[in-house]
Amino acid sequence: MSINRRATTLRRGLVLVGLTAMWAMPALSQRRVEVTLTAAPTRLSLAPGAPTEMFAYNGQFPGPTLEFREGDRVTVHFRNKLPEPTTIHWHGLHLPFTSDGSPFHPVAPGETYDYVFTIRPGTAGTYWYHPHPHHRTGYQIAKGLYGAVIVRAADDPLRGLPEKLIVISDNRFAADNSIDLPASLSTAGIVDRENGREGDIVFVNGTVMPTISIRAGEMQRWRVINASAARVYRLSLPGHTLLHVGSDGGLFEHPVEVDEILVANAERVELLIRGTGAPGDRVPLQALPYDRYVPQTRPQTWNRTRDLLTLQYTKRRPISAAPLPAVLRPVPALDTTQSTATRLMVLTQGMINGQMMDHSRVDVAAKLGATEIWEIENLVGMDHPFHLHGFQFQVLDRNGVPERFRAWKDVVNVPKHGSARFIVRYANFPGKWMFHCHILDHEDHGMMGILEVIEERNADARSATRSP
Amino acid sequence: MKGIRLIYRKEDIVGSQRTRSRSAPVVLGLVVVAALAGSFFVSLGVDDASASLAADEQVMRGRTLVIHHACGDCHGGGSNPNADGWLVGARDTSQEFKIGPFRTRPRNLTPDNMTGLGRFSERQIFNALRYGLRPGETPDVDITSTTPGQGNFPAHPKYLAVPMPWPAFRHMSDQDLRDVAAYLKRGVKPVSNRVADSEGPPDFWASAYTVDKIGPYPAAAFPAARERTAP
Repeated sequence: MSINRRATTLRRGLVLVGLTAMWAMPALSQRRVEVTLTAAPTRLSLAPGAPTEMFAYNGQFPGPTLEFREGDRVTVHFRNKLPEPTTIHWHGLHLPFTSDGSPFHPVAPGETYDYVFTIRPGTAGTYWYHPHPHHRTGYQIAKGLYGAVIVRAADDPLRGLPEKLIVISDNRFAADNSIDLPASLSTAGIVDRENGREGDIVFVNGTVMPTISIRAGEMQRWRVINASAARVYRLSLPGHTLLHVGSDGGLFEHPVEVDEILVANAERVELLIRGTGAPGDRVPLQALPYDRYVPQTRPQTWNRTRDLLTLQYTKRRPISAAPLPAVLRPVPALDTTQSTATRLMVLTQGMINGQMMDHSRVDVAAKLGATEIWEIENLVGMDHPFHLHGFQFQVLDRNGVPERFRAWKDVVNVPKHGSARFIVRYANFPGKWMFHCHILDHEDHGMMGILEVIEERNADARSATRSP
Repeated sequence: MKGIRLIYRKEDIVGSQRTRSRSAPVVLGLVVVAALAGSFFVSLGVDDASASLAADEQVMRGRTLVIHHACGDCHGGGSNPNADGWLVGARDTSQEFKIGPFRTRPRNLTPDNMTGLGRFSERQIFNALRYGLRPGETPDVDITSTTPGQGNFPAHPKYLAVPMPWPAFRHMSDQDLRDVAAYLKRGVKPVSNRVADSEGPPDFWASAYTVDKIGPYPAAAFPAARERTAP
């Protein structure tokens, strides 16, 4: 069966199915998984009326959901049939530098590239993939290039719960249904550059207002990915509380009950939804107003509540859900006393530490295996979601308030005129790793820097050649 | 006067002479070592002192400029550096400005890292006063042009909110502006006071600060249209 057919089914039905373009090695050995992804221009009907000229992976929007298991040896055979260079960045996965799909490894039009990596044990979680060419990430994602990655663990404590994947994105269309990408000097272009590009149409898995059904009393596991360039989602399910169980890097120790949850750009959350409604109820999943903007470019509609999808209760009689395990997954604390450096990152609009991205510059040089604390200060009256490639970190505090629980993260939303600190260990993989604001317009503008992780035996030689 | 007399007490001078005469070689040696060491340290000390004295003079000049340019009238404290709220920015809505549909607010000018100027360089403060460019939105570079996109002037400039009178302040000398920056960064205690962002048009006041509205920089040569050379 082709990957296309299976993933289209998946998109329609909102139900996760296993990856198809793979072949399993005999049991007990490392499973080898091969995937073929092709990025190409395509034409899809997203809005009523004319079809839209887009870019897509394997002709699908969003791209096929890739499902791996911890320990899998993955090879992604990528072919770029776009008229411009691109990459595939495996957002959040801990993998070799050459497979990170960062701007250092562009794939020219017509060329192929093999992304080769092993899914590391303990990394089960929800990830995603998207292009990361310099200056064109926002454009290519707006054109439709992104997809979800799900990594499963053999000992998943929530195994057996019904799962729903919810990839949220937004877009904006011109009168002819083409994707609205204004000239950078126009007022709309200035607003896009400032806020990050937002669209008035919000998609869930490529569909507007899909329906998820639930049986009264049932417990479902939702994996939510914010794939928007700039829009953040303050999620609420009226009449329900949410059990927050997982973050960017997967499950954490204990569920946290919340009324609402903020999902910033590129962040993922895993939620347990308890069917506390009555048979036949319809409840919208809503995005509540959230003011992340500077006043100059704050949209007039910022304080509108948006409905994202409908949760439809079936008519069947209520059931009772099985109890949750006491511990979902331990997250051992990175030891702050082992930290050998504190990296201060001062965010201003479009810049980090007063500088814009330069491929030839290394902003932070660190030794492989080192543990460090990053302190991000945001001097702008606008939230900036800060993403580090390659390594999952643990947020220590935000605005000086200790984080309520320990979790693996690769994006931390740094609130306007606020700060955040995280601790990270450069466990494996020397190389050059990007860190940047994940508002795509800011990233493309150059609000990005480079962390070079250097192997011990090379570290001294390298640092000697670098001017202080 | 009493103190001076004490320092030059005759007995002390005599006593030291006596000491030297008692163990001359050792003391002489010590004196030589002390003199050598002393000259080294003293010369360093003098350099340091003159540098810090110059810095202090710069800060003091900046202080005078800040006081007589009435920065505190909007940013807090009036003309009195002793006043509560000296340069800490707006603390309540009575200190806001209503500019058309927008509300603008005087910012915290104390060198607090998160809420004030602490993370901005003196060059960024200079660029704010000379070119009206918001320090948080402008790269920390030397600017050599007033044409957007040229000489490091941002292609999409974001200006300080109205009514910050930078179009007048920009005519101060380079030295004056550097002195003001030096005072704000080094002569004022940091105070944490988070001021809500000013509102404004999406072009960040670029349409308000055109040459026909604020005049050229540098100012037109004397005598300009409304000036004369003799009474």
